[in-house]
Amino acid sequence: MRDRSDAELIEEILGGNVEAFGILVSRHRDTCTRFAVRMLGSGTDADDVMQSAFMRAFRGLRNCRDRDRFGGWLYQIVINECRTFASRQRRRDSRFVADQEVIERAVTPVEEDSDDSMSEHVERALAKLPAEQREAFLLKYVEELSYEEISEATGVRVSALKMRVKRACDGLRDMLEGVYHG
Amino acid sequence: MADYRDDISDETAALIERVADSLRTPESLDPSFDARLMERVRAEAQSVHASVPRGSTVWWRSARLQLSPLGALALAAGISAFVALSTLAIGSRIWTRTVTTPAPAVAGVPAGPDTVNLVRFVFVDPRARSVEIIGDFNEWTKGANKLRLSGAPGVWSVSVPLSPGRHEYAFIINGSRWVADPLAVKSSDDFGTESSVIRVGSPTNSST
Repeated sequence: MRDRSDAELIEEILGGNVEAFGILVSRHRDTCTRFAVRMLGSGTDADDVMQSAFMRAFRGLRNCRDRDRFGGWLYQIVINECRTFASRQRRRDSRFVADQEVIERAVTPVEEDSDDSMSEHVERALAKLPAEQREAFLLKYVEELSYEEISEATGVRVSALKMRVKRACDGLRDMLEGVYHG
Repeated sequence: MADYRDDISDETAALIERVADSLRTPESLDPSFDARLMERVRAEAQSVHASVPRGSTVWWRSARLQLSPLGALALAAGISAFVALSTLAIGSRIWTRTVTTPAPAVAGVPAGPDTVNLVRFVFVDPRARSVEIIGDFNEWTKGANKLRLSGAPGVWSVSVPLSPGRHEYAFIINGSRWVADPLAVKSSDDFGTESSVIRVGSPTNSST
């Protein structure tokens, strides 16, 4: 049987079949999850953000104009939810570490030659970048969107995005050069 | 990628590519994610249907008004009274009802065995560009009974004279989207297309 398109599923949901939303969720969940985890540095926080993002999408489904591009529209929501979460988090006491993953990471010694240790270094370096640079870098290099797509999703001009990506790359190079070449 | 690689050494570009590659590993959420989310979605959908309509909510109910054949002649005069009556009721939580008191235009006309029922269908959707109702009463003919905006934003309505008995119907939104009433009894045809069922009482039946 042919898979129903996103637009067809949205029509069904708006017609009262809320179960069809589950298909949209399973179809688009993983694409946005990686961005949320990398952006927030925590699977637990990403879970919260993704729940909020999907609930916002469900409530605003009628406002999704191009229904065949639901994925792009959802991306915008996830990006905004990550921004909101991050700004709320900044306002909290940064010395309070409640996330078990972060605690475990902090007390686990890094084996310098393993792939895992490289990932640890990369994640720490990424976390040190300003949020707007991290966001632009992830969307460009990890999610591999075009600058035009990123601009549409974030509302930031292409020229500003290029500058953010360049600064992110410079920052990562400065932090990681010794790790990769040392 | 060329955007940045143009400005940097091959060595740095290679480093950035390795960084990006390590970040491209897939991530997954807790296996309970979908179940938790859908629980919230169902709860929200239920609360939306049970509450007063909001800006982005689609909901529709029908109310009916009994009308004698003579009353049908006076329909044109009486319709404005029905519209006012129904519009007042939209803000209430429950407003599906049978109005047994004759409308002002047909006051004093006794109900007879050939009484028709004027059923008022209301559909609320602020984004709809057109709404019509099709059913066995109009031979499932598109364009036969178009709903009109009736004052409040996004509130579409039409009154349809129905004979007593069982009727099936559905709404057509924007000329193409078939929508069955989720709050009514459903009926499916051989192809699985859902429509809704309304039972119109006998002339002596004064309530639903």
